[in-house]
Amino acid sequence: MAETVVETKVETSLGTPWNVVVHDDPVNLMSYVTMVFQRVFGFSKQKAQHHMLEVHHKGRSVVWTGARERAEFYVQQLHGFLLLATLEKAE
Amino acid sequence: MLIRRLKENAIELIHIEPVEAELLRQIPVVCESGGDGRSEARLFTNPVDSSDTQFLTDWAEYVRPELRHLFLSSRNTVKEDLEKLSDGPGRLGRLVVPRVHSDAWLNALNQARLILATKFNFSDRELSMHETPKWFSRRDLVLQQINFYAEIQERIIDAIEDQ
Repeated sequence: MAETVVETKVETSLGTPWNVVVHDDPVNLMSYVTMVFQRVFGFSKQKAQHHMLEVHHKGRSVVWTGARERAEFYVQQLHGFLLLATLEKAE
Repeated sequence: MLIRRLKENAIELIHIEPVEAELLRQIPVVCESGGDGRSEARLFTNPVDSSDTQFLTDWAEYVRPELRHLFLSSRNTVKEDLEKLSDGPGRLGRLVVPRVHSDAWLNALNQARLILATKFNFSDRELSMHETPKWFSRRDLVLQQINFYAEIQERIIDAIEDQ
């Protein structure tokens, strides 16, 4: 009797990654933005300053990339600190 | 006015001039008066572009009330702290802010600055100017108020980072 082999292909989909983007804003202070990045993302001061300067000079910085739900959580946190933050699909 | 860390658990504002005391007392007043559409839009910005209508609806329903509560709570904390501001005719004021209230102060100061900047339509250039004008219009005075609040934010950040 022939043996039937059933192959099951397991696919794990992590979904599309999402970016958390912080936009430039003339009201929020540079020191404040740096402090917020350290608090929300646990960045070192150096990394937080790097992103803050990117926001300041380029108008925006992608501060985090990953799962949508987590990205939404981070955007909510940033809005709580009154930073201009949005979600966008990572390319 | 001088802002400094007081021991480990508090920030102290001393030598507060009467005009500075008045500006401090205006923080919650400005926040509470800022209910026009543009200020509201700046305080509660959209997290995604307008095409994602379902997500924006959910955000407005579930997240925005939490943010509103956070902002209200921050300015109430500031208001309560300000009731302890000791000043009076002919003497400089003093205020002690518990270290655990520093986030509420930073938040309320930011709310006030955002509302004033939106209400008076200040440009990026104007907001980055720090010269004192020779003649004061109402707009100039509001810009000074925004800069005064920014200075307090800087000093509070310095004081808490110093710990």
